[in-house]
Order: sequence, then structure tokens, then C-alpha cells
Amino acid sequence: MNALRVAAVADIHLGEDLRGHYRKTLAGIEERADVLLVGGDLTRHGTFEEGRLVADELGGLPIPVVAVLGNHDYHSDADQEIIAVLRDAGITVLDDDAVTIPLNGVRLGVAGGKGFGGGFAGKCASEFGEPETKAFVRHTKEIAERWRLALKGLDADTKVVLSHYSPVKDTLLGEPPEIYPFLGSYLLAEAADAEGADLIVHGHAHSGTEKGITPGGIRVRNVALPVIEHAYVVYCLDGEGVH
Amino acid sequence: METPQYVAARVQRALAEDDRTNELGIRVDVRGDQVYLRGQVPCDERRHLIEAVAREAAPGLTVHNEIRLLEVHEPGEEEHL
Repeated sequence: MNALRVAAVADIHLGEDLRGHYRKTLAGIEERADVLLVGGDLTRHGTFEEGRLVADELGGLPIPVVAVLGNHDYHSDADQEIIAVLRDAGITVLDDDAVTIPLNGVRLGVAGGKGFGGGFAGKCASEFGEPETKAFVRHTKEIAERWRLALKGLDADTKVVLSHYSPVKDTLLGEPPEIYPFLGSYLLAEAADAEGADLIVHGHAHSGTEKGITPGGIRVRNVALPVIEHAYVVYCLDGEGVH
Repeated sequence: METPQYVAARVQRALAEDDRTNELGIRVDVRGDQVYLRGQVPCDERRHLIEAVAREAAPGLTVHNEIRLLEVHEPGEEEHL
């Protein structure tokens, strides 16, 4: 099977003050990668205007672009409008679902969405007590279950999970441990481990670390721009199949 | 003098919630009447806005803007997985 070159970045936080800057760094991406994954926090304030700017910056690239939203992209309650304007620009936006893209004779399956927090095994919130606490935890549980189903339904040679929040603690190293529950949830990793994937890509943790691994052995990469310090990173999936 | 921990918390909250910044990634430390801001942002305009919001949230204190500009390099070597 042919190798797939997956470019990935997250937390680009575009705004009018950065118009044109990020796009310039994508010049020649088709020479380096077959697909670009963008792991949320596309905007700073989550306004429709910022969403349109992201569509201008990421639209019309010579390779397919798959994105998810991040918490910043929800701040102005314009998430659905942002998703619509990105899709109009030809960008695939995952919202707890999946897509299969044929590339070089390989079917790449990408599943995911924003994700959410709650913490990591042994040090996490439970669906117990006040309705506010239960709603917080339930939100992550429901997302994880939708991801599990999305992964299960994927008919692909190589599977990647694209998230904003982190599925593991490994890639949060550098962040204050007190805020881990707001940076991710083990439920996201559990869903991927249950169905299998070759790679999980996320952002959100600006002070975190690039590389980690799920309890089930799936490689995790935190591609937040302040972590990778490059326009994007390229992961070459050599096609050994789903773990 | 107000307890430094509460000042730091108020500045951090202002940076996150003020629509001029909505910035969650800045570390705020207060020592006596000195406020230190650290982190990375992609442009100078955002660095100045963060300082302005921090000054408003900590009136009478000296704000040290130690935020650095995020340098985005050309893509590097690919990783084989």
C-alpha cells in the first residue's frame, strides 16, 4: 500500500490582524503532503467574520483539507455558520462524524470533532451530583460514543482521529496539571482504542508536548501551532494498517 | 494591598473573557506590585492588546509584558509512523 503524507496543524487562531499570513506558509504544501488536517481553534473569537477569513485562508488549496472546530470557534455561538462557510469553501468539517478520502489509491478515513474535557482516568469528573456537572461529563461521553460509531462505520485503509481536545495526558506535559480536566478526556482515547486508528491528532494545549500514545497504543500528536512552531507537521503513514 | 493570587486570577480571567483578547494561553504572575505576563502570540497587535487589558485589570500595578512573538517556521522533516 502507498504511504500517506498527512499534514497537520491546530490552533491557528486567525483574525483580521493575521489575514494572508498563514496562507503564505501553505505555499507548496502539495509537494509535501497529500491532505491537511486542522485540529480546531481556527479563529480567536469564533465570529462568522473570522470563519469567513479562515475559509479564505484554507480554501482552494491543491490538496483536501479536513478540519474540526475548537472551543474558541464556539465562543460567539456562530459555530454552525462557521461550519457552513468553511464547507462552502470546499473544506471538509467534521462534527462528530467521519469522511473517507481516496488518496494515491489509499482510502484515508478521518473521524472526529471538537472533543471535550473531563480529565483522565483516575482523576476525572463523573456524571454525578449537580445537573451542571452531569451535563459537562455527559457532553464528553456522548461525543466519545459518536466517535466510536463513526470509526466503526469507516471503511478505510488508514484511519486518523482529528480532535481539538486531547485524548491523553502525555501531550499535555508542560501545561499545569490542575487544568488537565479542561484540556481533554480519556474517553476520547477509549473510543479510538475500542475501534482502532493509526493516529490521533489534536491541539488546544499550547504549552503541551507533541508526542504521546493512548493506552491501546495509538500514536497521539499535539499539533497546536505554539507546540510545533512550524506551519504544519507531516506524518507519513506507511500503511501497515489499523492498530 | 490586595492578595497577589486574586490579582493574578482577575488578570487571567480578564484576558480570557475580554472580547479584545479572548486569550487563554498567557501565564500571569504577581509579585508584590509587579505583574508579569508570559506566553506566545502570533502578532504584535495581540501582544499590545493583552498588555492593555492586563493594565485595566490591575490598576496601580506595574505590568511587565514578557510575551514573545510566535515564530512559525517552514515545515520541517516528516515523521514516519
